[in-house]
Amino acid sequence: MTRMRRRKTLLFFIASVCTLALGVSATAQDRAKQIGGKFMCMCSCNQVLTQCNHVGCTTSTAMLKELDQSLARGDSEDVITQAFVQEFGTKVYAEPPKSGLSLVAWVLPSVYLLGGTLLVVFIISRWRSRIHLETAAASGGPSGISAEELERARRRVARETED
Amino acid sequence: MATCGLIFIATFSLVYLFFSDSYWVSYVVAHSNRDLSTFYKIAALWSGQEGSLLFWSFLLAIYVFSALFVYRNKNGELMPYVGVVLAGVQIFFLTLNNFVASPFKVLATPGANGALEIFTRADGNGLTPLLQYPEMVIHPPNLYSGYTGFTIPFAFALGALLARYPGEKWIHLTRKWTMIAWCFQTAGVLLGAHWAYAVLGWGGYWGWDPVENASLLPWLTGTAFLHSVMMQEKRGMMKVWNVWLVFLTFMLCILGTTLTRSGIVSSVHAFAQSSIGNWFVGFLALILVVCFVAYVKNRDYLKSENQLDSIVSRESSFLFNNLILLVSCVAVLSGTLFPVFSEWLSGSRISVGAPFFNKVNIPLGLILLFLTGVGPLLAWRKTSVDSLKRNFGWPSLFSLAVGAVIFALGLHEFYSLVCLILCVFVASTIVMEFYRGARVVRARSGASFAASAVDLTLRNTRRYGGYIVHMGMVLIFVGLAGAAFNKDVQKDMQIGSTLQIGRYNLLLQSFDSKPERNYTSERMVVEVMQNNKPLMMLYPERRFFQTNQESGTMVAIYSTLRDDLYVVYAGQSPETQTPVIHAYLNPLVKWIWLGGAIVVMGTIVTLLPNRRSVLAFAAVQEPTAARPMSPSLAPSVTLREGHD
Repeated sequence: MTRMRRRKTLLFFIASVCTLALGVSATAQDRAKQIGGKFMCMCSCNQVLTQCNHVGCTTSTAMLKELDQSLARGDSEDVITQAFVQEFGTKVYAEPPKSGLSLVAWVLPSVYLLGGTLLVVFIISRWRSRIHLETAAASGGPSGISAEELERARRRVARETED
Repeated sequence: MATCGLIFIATFSLVYLFFSDSYWVSYVVAHSNRDLSTFYKIAALWSGQEGSLLFWSFLLAIYVFSALFVYRNKNGELMPYVGVVLAGVQIFFLTLNNFVASPFKVLATPGANGALEIFTRADGNGLTPLLQYPEMVIHPPNLYSGYTGFTIPFAFALGALLARYPGEKWIHLTRKWTMIAWCFQTAGVLLGAHWAYAVLGWGGYWGWDPVENASLLPWLTGTAFLHSVMMQEKRGMMKVWNVWLVFLTFMLCILGTTLTRSGIVSSVHAFAQSSIGNWFVGFLALILVVCFVAYVKNRDYLKSENQLDSIVSRESSFLFNNLILLVSCVAVLSGTLFPVFSEWLSGSRISVGAPFFNKVNIPLGLILLFLTGVGPLLAWRKTSVDSLKRNFGWPSLFSLAVGAVIFALGLHEFYSLVCLILCVFVASTIVMEFYRGARVVRARSGASFAASAVDLTLRNTRRYGGYIVHMGMVLIFVGLAGAAFNKDVQKDMQIGSTLQIGRYNLLLQSFDSKPERNYTSERMVVEVMQNNKPLMMLYPERRFFQTNQESGTMVAIYSTLRDDLYVVYAGQSPETQTPVIHAYLNPLVKWIWLGGAIVVMGTIVTLLPNRRSVLAFAAVQEPTAARPMSPSLAPSVTLREGHD
């Protein structure tokens, strides 16, 4: 192997290591951002940890540092979460965990939507069944329409179809 | 009138105390100082609990006086009841102003003889830095005008129920008042979002904070009411629902202020914890009891006159629109209160933050956006298949085609993609409606297409103003869709160093610290470059206010329709003492503010009287100017059954 070739290989090796290191670093940063997004900042700003930009907020800085250290140690997300909950309590969660009492928070919106939809469907079907009953009753009755009824119907049509 | 006059005197007295630097008044000491600019001395009026409650009374007095003045010789059977309800609400707030949270308390100390002696402080504590921003001078008045404005429809609804006032007249009487309150509420919410964006420096505009949620709740029910009220006007349906929607909207206005003033929920925006929350809880309970009793006693009067003919009709679209708005409202409310409930039940407070609210509300928002496109084009009573094809065929195909192009361009984020497809769908249905209508007017008058579209709008302001409002909402949704692609970079910067974000390159030119009249400023001078060419200068800064020892950020934003370059000076690095820059690239944010402006404009259009009669007269005067109408246009002239 010539000297020139050896140098090229070395350069390639260094570049590969750097690229890999940058890639790993970027992944760690992304991971920190992803996991940090699951916690609240504890400075009472009511913002997600990664979004807290409170002027002079030392709390978020310390929490993010702790998160970075945990990731550097190779802690799993569960271990990090447990550590944060132990340190700050359940109010550290940015969203309620999907277990125990917190599950209620997740279930409620679906219950509202389902209950509301059933209610609307029920109201519509009841209205429609009344229409059928009224139509049946009308078809069984006398065919003549009084002038007063006709005028009332005209007024109703005008009101309901005006722009 | 006397009450209104006295409240005016009280409010302007407090403003005068701020302007005259009267540091013997406790409220002035707490919220102002000598160096505070004149502009912010006005905003100081509503910056604290006591002043904001007086301001609430002030706005309410304007509404009450206006309503009673406008209807002074009309609706004799209804107005006494309305007057009593309005007076009841006004009395509650005046009780707070006078006996619970007076802004006129003076600083006093016991003298040698035991009597209290008034003393004057040399200077005040100053206004909170977060409030020293131009939007703080217009955001709270807008929001409070929305909250207080909903008192008028509430009073008319309750008054009509108590008086068993016939028909839909109370709805006709209050429609404009409701629109005005809704318009203020919308503007207030959006200005608040813009303030959060430009001041808090976290790169976002909506953090689902309890105070933000409190402003959104009555907006959601108010929006539902504005839609469902048409069912009652046109078809005499949903009378019970409408009455309760108005009641609920007003109660949510009171609940919102209860949450922020009682300390029940924690928030950066909340006032200090105090016992005033008990007064609001009591008032809320009283309103609920009065509304419930009035409903139980007079519910026979609220029977529907009509039934639903078809599931594919305008009526059912309104029902689903109301369902989604209400589900969203209840979900936001239960999420906001969940930490409190979890603490009661389990002893530990579980936070519910932005990720939860986003996951719950994004799908609901998309359904609502879909209904915004579909609802207005469905006919009352029943919509035929032909009508569905005619109205939705092209918009559906066009939006799907645009969606395919967007997907091919690399946008694969599910919700953003669906949102943009729906935005195109709704926008194209609206454009088609304007096009069809303007074509008919143009065929008759021979005017230009733009002039015909304006004519069309002014002939039926309610309908076309509504479309403009919907178009504004579409633009807001376009802006919201961009949030999925936000980027941010933070870096310690030496002078002369650069930071790359997206297509922009930021060069730190200098960093200085200089004293100003009311604060000391640390400022970065950042040159923005694009393709190695200088684009503009940005000056992100941090202000330190000596009087109250607090700091505030001034974010520098370079905003375009494509994205916002949002630059924050994040302080000095503790290790290197170099300034730290936090830059964000937020796509499409400008569309939100643009959409908000269009929503407000559309609402103003809906409040204008129709110009129909004037145009009819002009057509008779100048028959020769009219061009014969093409036979192909004839079906469009008759339009479909009753659109609004």
